[in-house]
Amino acid sequence: MYGSTNLTEEEAKRMNSTVEDPEKLEAFEARIARGEKIEPSDWMPTEYRKQLIRMIEQHAHSEIVGALPEGTWITRAPNFRRKLALIAKVQDEVGHGQLLYSAAETLGKTREQMMDDLLSGKSKYSNVFNYPAKTWADIAVIGFLVDGAAIVNQTINSKGSYGPYCRALERICYEESFHLKQGHDNVVYLATGTKHQRAILQDAVNRWYRPLLHFFGPPDTMSAHSEKLMKWKVKLASNDDMRNQFLDMYVPKILELDITFPDPNLKKNNDGIWEFSDPDWDEFKRVINGNGPCNAERLAVRKFAEEAGRWVRQALINPSEKYQVPLA
Amino acid sequence: MNTLALKDLLFKMADDALIIGHRNSEWTGIGPMLEEDLAFSSMSQDKIGHAQALYNLLHDLGEADADTLAFKREEKNFKCCQFVELPIGEYDFSIVRQFLFDTAELIRYDMLTQSSYQPLSLLAKKVKGEIKYHVMHGDTFVKQLGKGTEESHARMQSALNYAWPYALGIFEKSEYETSLLSENIFIGEEELKKRWLEKISLVLESANLIIPSIDDAKVVYGGRKGFHSEFLSPLLDEMCEVTRSDEATAEW
Amino acid sequence: MGASGINKSFRKISGSFSIKTNIMSSLDPRVNRLDLKKIADGEIQTNSHLITWEVFHQEKRGKQVEHCGIVHASTPEMALILAKEQYARRGKTTNLWVAKTSDVYTFGTEDEDIFETTPEKTFREPAFYKVRDRIEKFQNKNKVNV
Repeated sequence: MYGSTNLTEEEAKRMNSTVEDPEKLEAFEARIARGEKIEPSDWMPTEYRKQLIRMIEQHAHSEIVGALPEGTWITRAPNFRRKLALIAKVQDEVGHGQLLYSAAETLGKTREQMMDDLLSGKSKYSNVFNYPAKTWADIAVIGFLVDGAAIVNQTINSKGSYGPYCRALERICYEESFHLKQGHDNVVYLATGTKHQRAILQDAVNRWYRPLLHFFGPPDTMSAHSEKLMKWKVKLASNDDMRNQFLDMYVPKILELDITFPDPNLKKNNDGIWEFSDPDWDEFKRVINGNGPCNAERLAVRKFAEEAGRWVRQALINPSEKYQVPLA
Repeated sequence: MNTLALKDLLFKMADDALIIGHRNSEWTGIGPMLEEDLAFSSMSQDKIGHAQALYNLLHDLGEADADTLAFKREEKNFKCCQFVELPIGEYDFSIVRQFLFDTAELIRYDMLTQSSYQPLSLLAKKVKGEIKYHVMHGDTFVKQLGKGTEESHARMQSALNYAWPYALGIFEKSEYETSLLSENIFIGEEELKKRWLEKISLVLESANLIIPSIDDAKVVYGGRKGFHSEFLSPLLDEMCEVTRSDEATAEW
Repeated sequence: MGASGINKSFRKISGSFSIKTNIMSSLDPRVNRLDLKKIADGEIQTNSHLITWEVFHQEKRGKQVEHCGIVHASTPEMALILAKEQYARRGKTTNLWVAKTSDVYTFGTEDEDIFETTPEKTFREPAFYKVRDRIEKFQNKNKVNV
């Protein structure tokens, strides 16, 4: 869901039927097939530009909205090490947002337009952040498992075709490895700590399990397909593949701490595929359309940040300067 | 060496850094502009790092470890000035506070590079660069916002007027000023305030902002002696909520 | 100096330090201290974000200065200050350069072909020059002992 390429049926139909200049399209697709990157000044199909903007923009929104559940516990981190690590980590999310908005800007949409679309509800962000961080243990689980899921997604997408997005993702992946380590560190301390610490960790894992399964989007059988997005290296792996990779990497790391998942059907079958109970895709739909536990709060806080910061930005603008699309 | 004098100095510096770092971290994720959100957040991490380093110096002098000093002391034992305790308010106040406090901090650390207490002079030399960046940030934003629009100018002046009596409380003298001076540990609050006034006057003038004039009776003192504003206790309750939620021996 | 007059809708400045009552009960104590209600009902206005500056990073003395991304800022000083935290908060940095995006010039993509034949100009490459065979032939012919 992070840099989401989930299409509606309507979008998929439109994508597969848009007509572009055949010669230019052929050169464009040949370039991608050779493994070369597309840069901002290259010709690109309208749909390519549109889908990329949507994907990168949603990813950017996910980063800055993601800063909010984790920010919940910034003022309450229990010692210097955790305090510094958490502020640094949340700061990184804002920084990743900046890198991603910048990448999307190269495609012609301004940061202002993207912020407006977020606040009006027109643009989406990762569903997982519409859930509350109820306890300190949620910070450990988010830092380890949600970031782990994000890394799976980001590592795969960093092999995509659009230069600026790939460069942003490489930088992000490098920083995310710190998030993962400090998240795991936090989880381990809780799991190997007091009864109370183990209890809050188990409770957090129980609550975040389903949102984590939802993270990679609906199963392939439920998604509209676009072969074009795969051909253009915008979508690089199926939702199911990424979800399976995530489970394979992280489920054992939780189980080895004697912490369980609230799903008796969660197990790896003989083909190396992780099976699990249906995570309720209706809930996913409800939450992504605005009816999750924290949607209203997330947007209200982002709106506050934009509005309360307006006088600052207005005071800084030099009216004689004209905005120009960034280069790379 | 007058250890009591030294510890008093270290405690007030550490407590100031911890509390203002904590306050500034409240902006992480909700700042007025992404890039500025990052800058403010980095500065808050720097301050918390300075607090930790100073508590470590205290630990070397026989006090408890840094985590204990920060998370397990009672409100009345804190020696921060009331200025750093105030809520973040709106961005005008936070920027003004950052500017006023960090200008003093840079001068203080600069003076301490000459301290006769070597661990402190070494620390001061090491972190001075970080605080220099904080001052660059404060200067730039105060000037831009002071001169920006009518609204930003009005907000900055109003925030400055509000902050002023609290800011002067940074320089509340301790009972050890003479000792600190005679032993060359620290030149003292009087001299620090003098240099601070010179420096900020230049910046505020170029920001078209006027220094409020108040009489000494209005200056908010007390923090250095353990008398705090109504805001410190709830701040500490919040800061220590998780630490207090389990046995004292729990490791986080 | 900014051009706009006083925004008539800005709030009174006094009283921004009192602890706000909960409008929305959040798990985040910071959020509970924000005055969200005043914002919630307002219309979203469009507001230009600042211009962009290209940022260049030098890791160590002696190394090249490399492009690393952009920042939004309004003056060179601000661009440098903000670039420090976005592009130099990890690892080594010796310095940063910034230039307005509008001051950086590039060739157009349509002119990419001017670079196309350059890799074929092997006469500019060291590997083009091989004389080992010639030396050995000479040595054999003239019975040169090495």
